[in-house]
Amino acid sequence: MAAVRPFGKLPALNSAALLLVGSDEGAQQQLAEAILKEKKSFKISIHLATSLPLPSERDHLRPRIDLIAFMIDIKSKYSLKNVEASLAHVDASFFLGKVCFLVTGVGRVNYCSVETNAVWKLRDVYCSPVLYCELELEGIRVATAQRLLRMLQICAGHVPGVSALSFGSLMRNSEDEQP
Amino acid sequence: MFSVLFSLFPTKCQSKLTLLGTETLPESDAKLSLLMMRVKALTAEYNLWQKRSPEIISTNPDVLVALGKEELQKVKNDLEMVLSTVQSKNKKLREDLKRAFQELKNKMLKLRTYKEELLNALGEFLEEHFPLPEEDGSAKKKKKVRSFFRKDCSVHILNLMLLVFQILINKLMSTPHEPYLTISDSFWPPYIELLLRYGIALRHPEDPNRIRLEAFHQ
Repeated sequence: MAAVRPFGKLPALNSAALLLVGSDEGAQQQLAEAILKEKKSFKISIHLATSLPLPSERDHLRPRIDLIAFMIDIKSKYSLKNVEASLAHVDASFFLGKVCFLVTGVGRVNYCSVETNAVWKLRDVYCSPVLYCELELEGIRVATAQRLLRMLQICAGHVPGVSALSFGSLMRNSEDEQP
Repeated sequence: MFSVLFSLFPTKCQSKLTLLGTETLPESDAKLSLLMMRVKALTAEYNLWQKRSPEIISTNPDVLVALGKEELQKVKNDLEMVLSTVQSKNKKLREDLKRAFQELKNKMLKLRTYKEELLNALGEFLEEHFPLPEEDGSAKKKKKVRSFFRKDCSVHILNLMLLVFQILINKLMSTPHEPYLTISDSFWPPYIELLLRYGIALRHPEDPNRIRLEAFHQ
């Protein structure tokens, strides 16, 4: 099983592919549906995986992945472990702006079992932005879907003048200013 | 960088990229190697931008002014839409607040009447069963006692258990963290005794001169 590579395949015309990696399949489904509901000017395919590496047998059917969103459920330590283990199977050039961490369940801090420090460490080591969201709330779910869609559009190279790398660097700068 | 390159020479790049092996981050110093990669990629992107010359839409000032106007008009329309949305939201919030306030006010009025009723009932009960003591020990007539309640304070009235009781309640309500009341000479001792005996009031564990209201109804 090979690692996912950002440029291993030719891009398809006017389309983009998003890979959601996370142990909570219900949340993935929820988010994917929210993304598909959004209006968009390009074709989109969303691939769900509980962990990486992806199975190799159907690899020839998969499009080129433009953005990987690693989903961390703030209520489950396992989801963080799972993401950490999956990161080892990602090609290094993905981390040039085509990876983001999505922390879900932020609305229920009382049940929080993942430390924010651990998430920040991931952000620092992998130079990738962290998005916080609560998928149970419709408004935030929609907003998150829109953000991911916009990022996907940039990562797929559909926005002239903005590359995934420069966008990632911008996100990083704004995050660094946070305490 | 790659996406920009792609648009320029897709096939040439792709064949080169496919030849590149997969490279995952090393376990140790992942951050350093990633940052080195970023430096390289950003430099490449920078060079690419440096080589590019921007396309100019037009050099004709009239065209530029017209385009600028159009752009500003668009921004103005967008902002107007935002303004009206925010205004309507504000209006709705203000109405909601008003309604909630009115509801609270009604509730408070109801509670106040209920409290009045309770106090009156309590007063009647006390008049009947615990009449005001007199110098000679006999009980006063009911009607007089009731008029006593309505009159403003004199030391005399403080003798009444009802007032002690009321003071205890007030104390508990106004300063729940410090519900203890110091017993003064103005309280009639037998009533205090009664309150204590039936578990309505409780003495301070360290200071016998202070009492508090107990949750006797529970």
